[in-house]
Amino acid sequence: MTRWWDGVELARVAERLVPGSVARAEAGACLLRPERAVETLRALRDDAETDFAHLTNLCAVDLWDRFEVVYHVQSLVRNRIACLKVETADRESPAVPSVTEVWQGAWLQESEAYDLFGIRFEGHPNLQRILLWDGYPGHPLRKDFLAMPGGLQPGLNEFAGAAPRPEPPVRPVP
Amino acid sequence: MNDVVQSEPFVMNIGPQHPSTHGVFRVKATVDGERVVDAEMVIGYLHRSMEKLAEERTYTQNIPFTDRTDYLSSMSNNLGYCLAVEKLAGIETPPRGQAIRVIMAELQRLASHCMGAGAFANDTGAWQTPIMWFMREREKILDIFEMTSGARLTCNYMRIGGVAFDLPPGFEERVREFIAPMRQTIADGEGLLSGNEIFLARARDVAVVPHELAINASLSGPMLRGSGVAWDIRKADPYCGYEQYEFDIPIGYRGDAYDRFIVRLEEMRQSLRIVEQALDGLPGGPHSTEVPLALRPPAGEAYARIESPRGELGYYLVSDEGPSPYRFHIRPPSLINLSVLREMTVGGSIADAIVALGSIDIVVGEIDR
Amino acid sequence: MPTATDHWYDFRDLSNLSRVILEGIDSVGPSELAYLVAPLIGFVAFFLVFVLPSQLFLGVYGERRIIGRMQARKGPNRVGPLGLLQPLADAVKLLQKEALTPARADRAIMWAAPIFFVAPAVLLFAVIPFGPRMVFADLPAGLIFFIAVSGLPVLAAFMAGWGSNNKYSLFGAMRVVAMSVSYEVPLVLMLLGVAVFANTLSLPGIVLFQAEVNLWLVFMMPLAFAVYFICVSAELNRTPTDIAEAESEIVAGYLTEYSGMKWGLFYGMDIGYALAASAFAATVFLGGWSMWGLEQWVPPWLIFVAKTHLFYFVFIWTRGTLPRLRVDQLMGFAWKFLLPLAVFNLFLVALERLLWAEADLGDGIVFAFAAVNIALSAVAVWGWARLLGYRPERMPTRPRLAREAGGYVPLDDPAAGGR
Repeated sequence: MTRWWDGVELARVAERLVPGSVARAEAGACLLRPERAVETLRALRDDAETDFAHLTNLCAVDLWDRFEVVYHVQSLVRNRIACLKVETADRESPAVPSVTEVWQGAWLQESEAYDLFGIRFEGHPNLQRILLWDGYPGHPLRKDFLAMPGGLQPGLNEFAGAAPRPEPPVRPVP
Repeated sequence: MNDVVQSEPFVMNIGPQHPSTHGVFRVKATVDGERVVDAEMVIGYLHRSMEKLAEERTYTQNIPFTDRTDYLSSMSNNLGYCLAVEKLAGIETPPRGQAIRVIMAELQRLASHCMGAGAFANDTGAWQTPIMWFMREREKILDIFEMTSGARLTCNYMRIGGVAFDLPPGFEERVREFIAPMRQTIADGEGLLSGNEIFLARARDVAVVPHELAINASLSGPMLRGSGVAWDIRKADPYCGYEQYEFDIPIGYRGDAYDRFIVRLEEMRQSLRIVEQALDGLPGGPHSTEVPLALRPPAGEAYARIESPRGELGYYLVSDEGPSPYRFHIRPPSLINLSVLREMTVGGSIADAIVALGSIDIVVGEIDR
Repeated sequence: MPTATDHWYDFRDLSNLSRVILEGIDSVGPSELAYLVAPLIGFVAFFLVFVLPSQLFLGVYGERRIIGRMQARKGPNRVGPLGLLQPLADAVKLLQKEALTPARADRAIMWAAPIFFVAPAVLLFAVIPFGPRMVFADLPAGLIFFIAVSGLPVLAAFMAGWGSNNKYSLFGAMRVVAMSVSYEVPLVLMLLGVAVFANTLSLPGIVLFQAEVNLWLVFMMPLAFAVYFICVSAELNRTPTDIAEAESEIVAGYLTEYSGMKWGLFYGMDIGYALAASAFAATVFLGGWSMWGLEQWVPPWLIFVAKTHLFYFVFIWTRGTLPRLRVDQLMGFAWKFLLPLAVFNLFLVALERLLWAEADLGDGIVFAFAAVNIALSAVAVWGWARLLGYRPERMPTRPRLAREAGGYVPLDDPAAGGR
């Protein structure tokens, strides 16, 4: 059975490898500082204890005032998986460093996140839209992207012609 | 020689309409004569923005979407999504439901590998014969799916907390009848291709992915195992009670196209073993737990993954206590396995590029979602 | 055997037809013209009325049914009894379809290509003896005529590929030319051996030779037969050497842009060429219409057609079974493997012919030659393969099995070692 890394425990390891790399640590995930993220992830990959050789999943989440990039990394030999996160500073020009030089597998997933969220991955060798065409207006997976014609906002129980929903509050997602 | 004969590379589009791209997938190959000097893939022709659509539907309503991502293995996709929701909401599945899920997922793996192995043989030029043999068996699986769920391709059979309905009468006999001919067909396909000199010449040492690259490029499934990495989510992170079944992980030798092919064939044998064991030990009891229709899981996030026929299929769900997922992300094995497309194709000939692409066994519905 | 009469409708002697036409034209026009026109009319009439429909029909229908059988499906079985009218229905359908021409294509070349493709296929049958006197043009150098004419469709294929203005088509055309140039060489060297041994270039002469010595040349020179089969399947683009039309790689090669009856002509004549090659193989290697005296009781042309289709069946069989080789592998095979063997075969056969002619050994010696040749061919193939460094694949065909998940399992790890 795959064991999950506790976020706090992982933060301790990350701090030992790269001091000042962890922004916040919770039970579920360990939040890294963007400016030290690549360095930290590489150290975690090469460290014998963590051995995160395999980047399983990379995706982004819209948190209304910022974006969060989620890395699920695992060690095949130790059979342990961890969740690491990096947050962008804002949502106007979101950018996080690219981890393609750490894991080649991040290449397409970062392109996809760029395409659908508009997060720039700095240092990505070929950052361009892959699913949508160049010049597509907006980034569809952002929460403020109007999914349907007629100005309909995303969400349930809303139909065309109904009163517009008030702007949702900023909710910290654990 | 090169000083005398000038050659100029030119761009050749393999796809979007091409017999060997397995859907609307395009490779912009720069070729110098027959040699591929650069390959760039162009995807998105089948993009339906499922992740966005799923944010506007309830958790149960999203199940049919998952059918349509990897349309050759809808059962596995259903399963992966349902597991993620169950993990998010803390729902337990009764043992019978789990066993039914295992049977269905393994039958789906057989059906998908029938297609994958057959299409790969087609790509090497074994014109239609192996794929037709495998298709004959795949039809039987689809018939079993039809009698169980009412649909052949997009089954929509799994539910949060179990499966939609119990197994129909006569199901077990049908599956048991199917196992022996399937074994025979695998042996036939192996006899036709595995030792064939021409097949070896085409697939051996073509599109080699060394194991370091395979791990670093996040490959999964037969791609990773073909490179000699023993990694199978069913063993490493068992779900649905896979730990009770006895099976092995087939792994390749050098990570070439041939290894991936034989790994797929062997996986089919292992799947048959699992199906037999699951049928033997099929527990009674309910097939599903009661789950509220408008499920509102507690706020949080969950990443659940299964071993789909193409590799590690993950679902990352974020809930904000609403009736629909706040974020619905699919980790598509087909897309991520394409990370090494350039490494596999550049330097070989066009024919090798086709073999490389065939050995990845992509499904474009899953790449584009 | 009943002797042929000289009525024009007596097809046991095919020259009757052209003789009658010749006489008819001779009575009304200048005789030079008659000599030119009569054989052409006669041959085309005979061919179009009898050979082409029946053979193409058998070829198309048989191929689809047999392939269907091999592929665990039924094949055409709806149009007419047993689906026998399927080729007809296909032809009608193709005639109705639009013959598209791409906007930037070279129209003249693209439209001329199918015609250039059809004509040689018809001509090839002119020198094939269907029976003792059933050969339309008994050319003294029929063998050379056949080789020369069978080289022509390459031109048509290249025209098609170039005229289509499509990259896939161009690739296909390029591959056709490369293949043809490579495989023509061992093919001709092999047939040279045949001509040397039979001491004639005339195809009826070769059949008569085989009937006289009661030994088919396939036993006399098995190497030549095998090489002929490989070369011909390469030139005809049949699997495993169908790289010019490689469906999974370059869509349909030089046929990519063709549709309707333009494509239909290519398709039909592909089978026409395959049948011509089979007929040629039956003539040269399988004793033609002779069958150790059986031709006295069975119509010789029936024996001939049976042998032709037997050979053609092998084409269908390989097509239904084998994967396709890569273009560089095929080129290497032709130049590195087949060519030396062809040269070896030529020397061997020439030596034996010399021995036979000079030492006055009698006809029975050919059986001894045959035994020697079969043994030497096997040795030559094996030895040359060893010399080229070919070793059978030793890697196992089943994957290793690991019990537990983990990281990379090294190849020499006994825990998860191969079987």
